Amino acid sequence: MTVWTPTDDGFADLTSHDTFVNGAPHNTFARLRRDDPVHWTDWDGGEGFWSITRHADISEMNRQPQVFSSARGIRMEDQTYEEYLARRTFQETDPPEHMMTRIKVAKAFSKPVIAEFENDIRKLCDDILDVALQKGAFDATKDIARQLPMQMLGRILGLPEEDLPWLVEKGDALIANTDPDFTDHVLDKMTTDEFRMMPFNSPAGAELYSYAKDLMARKDAAGDTSGVLHLILQPAKDGSVITEEEFRNFFCLLVAAGNDTTRYSIAAGIQAMCHQPELLGQMQSEDIWDTAPDEIIRWATPAIYFRRTATQDVEMHGKTIREGDKVLYWWSSANRDDTVFDDPFRVNLKRTPNKHLSFGQGGPHVCLGMWLARLEVRVLFQELAKRITSIEANGPHKFLRSNFVGGIKELPVKVVAK
Amino acid sequence: MKVTWKLPDGGEIAADVKDGINMMEAAVANNVPNVIGECGGNLSCATCHVYVDPDWMGKTGAADEFEDAMLDVAEAPRQDNSRLSCQITASADLDGLVLIVPEV
Repeated sequence: MTVWTPTDDGFADLTSHDTFVNGAPHNTFARLRRDDPVHWTDWDGGEGFWSITRHADISEMNRQPQVFSSARGIRMEDQTYEEYLARRTFQETDPPEHMMTRIKVAKAFSKPVIAEFENDIRKLCDDILDVALQKGAFDATKDIARQLPMQMLGRILGLPEEDLPWLVEKGDALIANTDPDFTDHVLDKMTTDEFRMMPFNSPAGAELYSYAKDLMARKDAAGDTSGVLHLILQPAKDGSVITEEEFRNFFCLLVAAGNDTTRYSIAAGIQAMCHQPELLGQMQSEDIWDTAPDEIIRWATPAIYFRRTATQDVEMHGKTIREGDKVLYWWSSANRDDTVFDDPFRVNLKRTPNKHLSFGQGGPHVCLGMWLARLEVRVLFQELAKRITSIEANGPHKFLRSNFVGGIKELPVKVVAK
Repeated sequence: MKVTWKLPDGGEIAADVKDGINMMEAAVANNVPNVIGECGGNLSCATCHVYVDPDWMGKTGAADEFEDAMLDVAEAPRQDNSRLSCQITASADLDGLVLIVPEV
């Protein structure tokens, strides 16, 4: 039995956000991996691009940032240099510049520091699950998956609890800027020129910036240095400090990326439990917790692709990628590559080894928050499994309208609590 | 060159490594436990942290500024002989190198 069988005709339009409303077009990815692993797409929304779909190719390219640069944008959409400078974060830089920012916050997100949050996370899960499970039938994305990362983001950033729902709404508007359920400014459906200098080309970027400035002023006045925001404001070893724009963009990145990726990992894990009923029993009685979080995160693949730009001509599989060409690494495809993953459409909580690429492993931009994500996923599913005797789908689930963020935005479930 | 990894369980793994290959790549290729290399040798994680056998510290050299900062991120306690193995590259000078794999 598989959890979910892709239904696309094998020739899906990867530029269309609508393609992804039933999940990623895995028949198309399978065809590209087999027949056309370096695939060119012409695009009427901008310059065309190359799609890399095999796990082995993405892994090999990802470790070469000097050849495939992040410093000209990481999404399919083109940016002018001016827009790039205004909107960039350390995600859109290359080594060594990337490291100047990363080393300021790396410790705060390191495995040993993050491990200290385990008890906090367990307590948050207690509260979240108490509220959700007593309903019996509910939307698991809204009532469970969305809650935990939002609460943890507040702790990590040192934000007042009452601000969190507003922040998450704005974070959603940023990153889900192609889904009308999350923003009034749907990126590909209206002229968003007015906001092109704002993070994610979104008016929410301006609102978040204004929030961050007020927040830091309040914290400074109170002498409060909790949370990672203060770390990013510290001077680098060469004495340089980040600009206001860079601070704004970093804040927006944490609010957006720190939120929905873990949310959609949790949602995908719950979806898998609904369709592979044996998972609950394994979670309740088997020793799977060293491997289960990564398998759930492989299954979810919340970041569908990231883009790079070639800095030189490169020959690959009989094609020539020219200097300046956009190159997309489709993580979503790599994570279903059957040359790497046995039975890739099945969730196997004991999968070992599990060389999934959901965190962009193998390259300099490997997810800063990966230890937090793994810990949140592990504790949430440990606590959920303790509290229920069954879980099943209570209607069809709905995916986000986005070719960039892969997520189940509505997940109706029914549970029987213990 | 020949390299030996001393494992936390008392075991050892030895391998011949070609010049130019870094010790993270070599460890991964030889299934050395606890050396992962999540960032592909780009100094963005510390999952290839090892201790250099004290006899070899003179030859492996010292961590640069970025490596030094990233060593603070490692899971196992940092020691004077801590290095990120992706920053040590195989060469004839290091023939016989001994690396100690931390317990994590």
